[in-house]
Formats: sequence, structure tokens, C-alpha cells
Amino acid sequence: MTQLLENTTEFASSAVRGTWVVIAAYNEGEAIGGVVSDLVDDYPNVVVVDDGSGDDTADAAAGAGAVVLRHVINRGQGAALQTGITYALTRGAAYIVTFDADGQHQKSDLPALIGPLARGEVDICLGSRFLEHAGSVPLARRLLLSLAVLFTRLTSGVRLTDAHNGLRAFSRRAAARIDIRLDRMAHASELIDQIRQSGLPYREIPVHIRYTDYSLAKGQRGSAAFRVALDYLIGRVMR
Amino acid sequence: MNLFQILAVAAVLLLSTWTVRTAFRGQMRKRIALFWLLVWLGSGTTIVWPRATVVVANRLGIGRGADLVLYVSVVVTMAGFFYVYTRFRRMDTQLTQLVRALAIQNARKPEPSDTPKQPSAH
Repeated sequence: MTQLLENTTEFASSAVRGTWVVIAAYNEGEAIGGVVSDLVDDYPNVVVVDDGSGDDTADAAAGAGAVVLRHVINRGQGAALQTGITYALTRGAAYIVTFDADGQHQKSDLPALIGPLARGEVDICLGSRFLEHAGSVPLARRLLLSLAVLFTRLTSGVRLTDAHNGLRAFSRRAAARIDIRLDRMAHASELIDQIRQSGLPYREIPVHIRYTDYSLAKGQRGSAAFRVALDYLIGRVMR
Repeated sequence: MNLFQILAVAAVLLLSTWTVRTAFRGQMRKRIALFWLLVWLGSGTTIVWPRATVVVANRLGIGRGADLVLYVSVVVTMAGFFYVYTRFRRMDTQLTQLVRALAIQNARKPEPSDTPKQPSAH
């Protein structure tokens, strides 16, 4: 924390103390401990939602210094994120960051995401891996994600460069208006709809994604995309 | 009666007894049981006396009784699917809310590990 405070004067300690990092984790026992212990050095408020894991995800996260909320049965990433957001709001969070459990996101990107919220410029910051650092994204991922961007543009009318990045930051006001109802992966598109409907200002921020063998193996397969799209469309019709 | 009719009537009778038994055990509401009994009765009637469907079909301007049966069963089946699907979705949402409430209620505060991490039990 000290390093962060000395380096960025505009990034006040109150912003850090008011920040809650929400991580949805399903069978991430291997990676979650490292992710949490790295975060809590600078961001003391980390909540891990263990989404019914069968491994030691909960113990690893609690041991590393996170509050652990345990879903007794698996409900999907969308459901887990909403649980974490709801909890963070009850704990008085001023800013809520969603962060992936597999180590693909970088703590060093957080000030850039929270900064615009703390300065009152926007209410939502969405991480984008394509604004600056697209080169590091594997080709197959890039093709799949550009389809996702197109899908989002067609269904939501929102122009984003990266529709499905799990690294996002919300002001308290924005987080309170978020109501993720699609339990599984389609929540990413649902979130974008809600952001548009809320009318709150948002911005895309360039972030680094660290693709490791671990994160790629844990990530969504391309073949899941069709199901995710169907989930999302049904969710739009059925609500 | 031909062989199909005998088998079908037997099946309908079996379903009727099952329905009545379930209702008397209190596992099904009486009104729902009555609905199913009417369905079984209707099926039985059309099986034993297929011309009944022709009479009704002609009234409705449909030529063949079998066509009427097909149309009605398709509509009823689709309506049933839709009903079950909406119920399923609602229960799914409620299940998530329940799981969420439990998770928040049993929030586990961080356990800073001064002591070395315990090996997991499994």
C-alpha cells in the first residue's frame, strides 16, 4: 500500500480503503491464494465468492486474507459476482472492482480503473485488452472476442472494444443499480445492457491480460459461445 | 376392440388409479387430480370410440378426427412445456437468491495466516 500511495498522489488512501475487490471463484484452489495475497497487500478489502468448488478454494482464499462467501451449490459466475457485489455494498463499499480468480488480471491496472470513479468522471470503468495491448492476446481468443464485440454491438447497441473482460470497476451508485440475473456466463452481455439502461457514464480503460496455460485452460472454450449467446437472448425475452 | 385399444385403455386405467391414489395421499391437489382425470377420461373415450373426435372435429370445421386430436395435443404439449419452463426459470432464480442469502449470512472473515496453511483434508 505504501508504494502505491507514494507513487500516485491523486490516488488517495480513502479510495483504496473504500474499494472492495470481488472475485468469483470455481475450483481455483491452485491460483486463488496467490491472487488474493497479492491484492490484499494494497487492497485490504477482498471478497472471494466460492461458487460451490469441490477443491480448497475457500480455505486458500481465507488463508490469503479474503472474506469468503460460499455458495453451497454452484450457481455460475454471474450469480457469484452478484453475491460479492451485494455483500460489498452492505459493507459500505465506495468502489467495487470485479477481478478474475485465475491470475489473468493485474493489480497494477486497478488505479487506472478506480481513478476516474474517485475523481467523479464516470461511474463505470470497463477493462479492455484491445485498447492498447492487443498483441498479447492469442489469435483464437482475438477472433472469438471480436465476435463477442460484434454480438454486443448488434444486441445492445453499445460500442466497446472488449465486451467480455472480467476486470471492471463500479461506483457505489452504479453497483447498486446492477442486478445480475443471468447466473452463468451470459452475465457479461447482461451487464452491458444494464450499464446502458442505467444511463450512467462509463469508460473503457486499457488493461493487461496475462494469458497463462492455467488461465487459458480454465477459460471459456470457444464452443461455449453459442450457449452463452442463447442464454443471453432467452434472458432478454423472458425477464 | 383391437389390440391397440386394449393396451391403451389399460394404460389409461392405470394412469387414472395412479392419479386418484396420489390425490388421496395428499400429494396432489384435488383440483389438479380432477384435471388429469378428465384428460384420461377424454383419452379413453377417443380410444374406445374414435368417431367421437370426428363429430367434434366436424363441428369445428376440421375434416378428420385424428387431425383434431393432433392439433389439440400439440397445443397442449407446447403450453405444458412453456409452463414448466417458466416455472423452472423462476425456481432457478429463487435458488440463486437462497444460495446468495446463505453465503452472505455465513460470511467467513479472513484468517491471516501467521500459522502455516493447513494441509487440506482431501
